[in-house]
Amino acid sequence: MKAIDKDGEKLDLLTVNIGPSHPATHGSLRVLCAIEGETIKSAVSEIGYLHRGFEKMVERGTYQQVMPYTDRLNYCSAMMNNIGYCKAVESMFDIEITERAKVLRVLISEMSRIVDHTICIAAALADLGAQTAYFYYFVPREEAMIIWEKLTGARLTNSFARIGGLYRDTYPGFESDVETLMVQFEKSVSDVLGLIDRNRIFLDRTQNVGIISAEQAISYGWTGPCLRACGVDRDLRKDQPYYDYETYKFETIVGSKGDTYDRLMVRLYEANESISIVRQALKRLQPGPVNVKDARVSQPQHEYVYHDMEALINRFKLVYEGVRVPKGEHYDASESANGELGFYIVSDGSGNPWRIKVRPPCLTQFAAYAQIIEGGMISDAIACLSSINIIAGELDR
Amino acid sequence: MSQYAKQLTPASAADFAAASRNTFEHLCAIVPATRDGQETIATAAIVAASDLRKAVLFLRDTPEFAYDMLIDIVGIDYLHYEGHKGSRFAVVYLFKSIAFAAHRFQLKVLVDEEHLNVPTIADLYQIANWQEREVYDQFGIHFEGHPNQKRLLNHFEFVGHPLRKDYPAQKRQWLSTNDPMIDQLELRLKENGIDVLDPMPLNTPAVEDLIKGDRL
Repeated sequence: MKAIDKDGEKLDLLTVNIGPSHPATHGSLRVLCAIEGETIKSAVSEIGYLHRGFEKMVERGTYQQVMPYTDRLNYCSAMMNNIGYCKAVESMFDIEITERAKVLRVLISEMSRIVDHTICIAAALADLGAQTAYFYYFVPREEAMIIWEKLTGARLTNSFARIGGLYRDTYPGFESDVETLMVQFEKSVSDVLGLIDRNRIFLDRTQNVGIISAEQAISYGWTGPCLRACGVDRDLRKDQPYYDYETYKFETIVGSKGDTYDRLMVRLYEANESISIVRQALKRLQPGPVNVKDARVSQPQHEYVYHDMEALINRFKLVYEGVRVPKGEHYDASESANGELGFYIVSDGSGNPWRIKVRPPCLTQFAAYAQIIEGGMISDAIACLSSINIIAGELDR
Repeated sequence: MSQYAKQLTPASAADFAAASRNTFEHLCAIVPATRDGQETIATAAIVAASDLRKAVLFLRDTPEFAYDMLIDIVGIDYLHYEGHKGSRFAVVYLFKSIAFAAHRFQLKVLVDEEHLNVPTIADLYQIANWQEREVYDQFGIHFEGHPNQKRLLNHFEFVGHPLRKDYPAQKRQWLSTNDPMIDQLELRLKENGIDVLDPMPLNTPAVEDLIKGDRL
């Protein structure tokens, strides 16, 4: 298509679709670009290829039945979504979970964060043609999957959190497994850093590519590592601490420029901070119950159910009618690996949610994507896409 | 950039509640607003649709509040909600402040079934463009003045608005073609100051049939 730009220069534009099925789109995303040579002059994006009606599905079940659906939002760090959802429901009840559950949730969240950042960086580097980092990262990630399997029974979509606590306590030897894993992750982070730190190709491909200013990022509603890469020091774990995050010692990693390099490096160093949080949490782990004793949310133990009429009724009601969340509307957010994961819950006082709106961190980042790749090359667009870590599961819901 | 670089000390939940109550009191002086009895923690103010832009501008631009981030826009359908009277739909705007770490405020606009119109705020927050498209897609609420009101999550051939309570969850629809998106791209090119001389032809009828699967 023939066109004239604002300086009066003639352009011969070609329209090219990137995606929806492209190896670099990690899911199904579509970007339609008008290119002049290799340069993207304008781009628009389309989402919804993985839309499965999360918000309609959850209205048909009980509050507990939402749990496995939340795993499929961000499937790279499934348990963080569970925890975010449970936290939102618990805050409507105003329930304080037990000390052990708090520490375990922090521990699991931070391990999920490490795994999520790991996958993001490994995939980003693979998209840039650096396959080695992938193997450096996926060896410890496999060990993490084995721990998940022992802990929850599933590798990827593990519904572990429950309203009022956790599915079950840890297995014997969990602590030593995690300690070993942290040593492995620490090594792999420094190995990958050694690969890319002063690597000319990596620096040229990522620095000054896909820049977004702090003001624009805020206007686009960016949160999490991508916002911090723009130099905005905001982290819900520090700003609105939950689960005693204010008592853990860690730094928020902040970038300076808001380019692809900053976004990847913020994730890389954040993984190091998470390793430190996991070690602190391990030290705090004391034996104790993982579920609150509250008849409104947690099921009575089997021995009571079989011998006590009241406990039997309690269990029956909880299973068939669901957790009866107090009437009202509430928004609650937690800091997931990608940014602020929020749940807006509308309850009519029954056991079935009236409406649950998910606030996915990815959506805001992908909304800005088409704009930030304009003016760059197609290969820059690919580098930029993997750095904002779009997970189609939570983007499309 | 430097104005955001410093991390403020974390405030307690009581501070957040006080901040949002304070915002509400100041907001009442600007536009007529009422407290929403539904909310449990963050303060929500109900404002009329006609006052929405004024209220949003006040929240965003007053330096002492500076709600500079729009977290989300939520559509709600109250059809058959127990004890609910009045408008069937509501649109909730969730704001967060970056300058004052994590201060939050909510605005709620009630929308009648007969008059499904809310003014857009897509020009005030960039993300509102997509979030309003999503509410339009799921509930059929129109945002007046929206630059590109199209469906966001559902297919462009989809009929109806799935998150309305009277839309059956099991209903199936046959959706076949791809959205060419050429019109959107031309709009974007124009925004970037590029004039298209020969608009790209949409697919010829033969290609259309091929896409639809009639010739396979």
